[in-house]
Amino acid sequence: MSSNEKLLPNGTTGYKLTKEDFAQINRRNLIGFQAGWNYERMQHSGYLWIILPQLRKIYGDNTEGLKTAARTHCAPFFNTSNFLNTIITGIDLAIEEEEGLQSLETVASLKTGLMGPLASIGDSIFGSLLPTIFGALAANMAIAGNPLGIFIWIAVNIVVDWFRCKQTHIAYDQGMKLVTTMSDQLNAITDAATVMGVFMVGALVSTNVGIVISAPIDLGGVTVDLQHICNMICPKLVPAALVGAVYWLLGRKGMTSTKAIFIVLIVAIVLGGLGWIAKG
Amino acid sequence: MIAWWQIILLTLYAGFQIMDELHWYSSAGSAVFSGFITGLIMGDMATGLYIGGSMQLTILGVGTFGGASRIDANSGTLIATAFAVSSGMDPEQALAVLGVPVAAILVYTDIAGRFANTFFGHMCDADVEKMNWGAYNVHYWLGAVSWMLSRMLPVFLALAFGQPVVEAITAALNGDFAWLGAGLTVAGGALPAVGFAILLRYLPVKKHIAYLILGFVIAALLGTLFTNVAGVAGDVATAAAATETAINGGDYNSLSMLTIALIGFALAYIYYVQNKAQAAAPAAAAAVEGDDDDEL
Repeated sequence: MSSNEKLLPNGTTGYKLTKEDFAQINRRNLIGFQAGWNYERMQHSGYLWIILPQLRKIYGDNTEGLKTAARTHCAPFFNTSNFLNTIITGIDLAIEEEEGLQSLETVASLKTGLMGPLASIGDSIFGSLLPTIFGALAANMAIAGNPLGIFIWIAVNIVVDWFRCKQTHIAYDQGMKLVTTMSDQLNAITDAATVMGVFMVGALVSTNVGIVISAPIDLGGVTVDLQHICNMICPKLVPAALVGAVYWLLGRKGMTSTKAIFIVLIVAIVLGGLGWIAKG
Repeated sequence: MIAWWQIILLTLYAGFQIMDELHWYSSAGSAVFSGFITGLIMGDMATGLYIGGSMQLTILGVGTFGGASRIDANSGTLIATAFAVSSGMDPEQALAVLGVPVAAILVYTDIAGRFANTFFGHMCDADVEKMNWGAYNVHYWLGAVSWMLSRMLPVFLALAFGQPVVEAITAALNGDFAWLGAGLTVAGGALPAVGFAILLRYLPVKKHIAYLILGFVIAALLGTLFTNVAGVAGDVATAAAATETAINGGDYNSLSMLTIALIGFALAYIYYVQNKAQAAAPAAAAAVEGDDDDEL
């Protein structure tokens, strides 16, 4: 890879990516894709970093072409799901390897076009649903003193990481075709997974929100046990009501999750301190 | 007291967990794992699991979307667990009085770290122009340093110098402020409600409301039943022991969440298969709520 190497008309050396190249890309992706994440352009430098060794082979070291390509990748804003980013990488490299410098405009718009949709798919499956289902399971078992759920979650994540490595090759082989077929597939899976997510939240509300009413209510000498009345209507009614109230609270203007956490914290401390509600 | 080697191990973990969460994502960067590992290091796994599990439920669904800063539940869990064990604080109280506030404060070091990386990003741009790839690698990885320091510094400082403060709080909560301690314990139980509510805001609740109701009712009924049967079984065993009667009884545990999850999985699977059959019919097209895949 010297700078004297003969370049093809498209500005590349004609290099074809090998198995080792993909292994290197995947390694870099899993070790440090978001190390350079920043407010200004987010994953811009990370996108370049994971494919830099391959770009150097494709365009030849110390060539003007390499500089142009590297600039095209590093300069603009980039942010997508860190679980699906190598799909874009795979498609990108297949095109660049074939068409070289002429393809850079296409590649730039491809990156911009794909990062949004992939972010929404990736965030909903890997950023939200899997952590919900397996994180909640692990948390639930942990509260009961059992670490097993954590190991189940780790096992699931190993499978996810394997998938993240696999998709780089698949995207390279299939190009844009993959994105269309995959998005249909993934949409169907996401939709079904949300069913499980919603079901789990329902179950967790009843098992993991531990409050009961303990307010002493005295109606002319007769004590009324409010919690007993609630239990007769439906067990775990109080937790359900609390979650419903917070859900409503979160829909209000200017409400953030952190504010909501502190509101619940303070209200619970006051009501708990007064003895109106208790841990149950 | 927290030993120096415990402080070092916990500080190292604090740096490791953010890299894990950003990259290989093994779940070691989750609150429940943070509680687990901190509990192990401090020599009280049960306390760690309790605090980590509760924190995990509290932040279910918080800020998983698009690069926003979110409360640092992992460091909050770490601090709460370490001090709960070292000062003998009640785990629920540690969660409410230490875990949540620390997690909220550490949002600012997270922001500082992400902000510092902006400068390194510009250095990377300059390296590209010079085609100095060695420097690019270094400047790129300085980003990881600021990520890790944004966790390691506050965790180290808190563990090294926080003990007297935490001991004072613990003493107060067990003494004059016992009523506040009671309130904090209740708060620990109520916090997961926030996590569930946030999550429901992100999930298509209206579309899948039937499954929400099913999940709640199945777990509410079975959970109550299991708890009560376990209670009765305990009473019977005590009575049997007192009268020296042999009884045949099962081993009653609390409701296994894994089995409930399997019911949920079965429902999701049925839904998937039915949807697939529908999608195969030419007219039917299923679209996920809120997905903008028409851009593809």
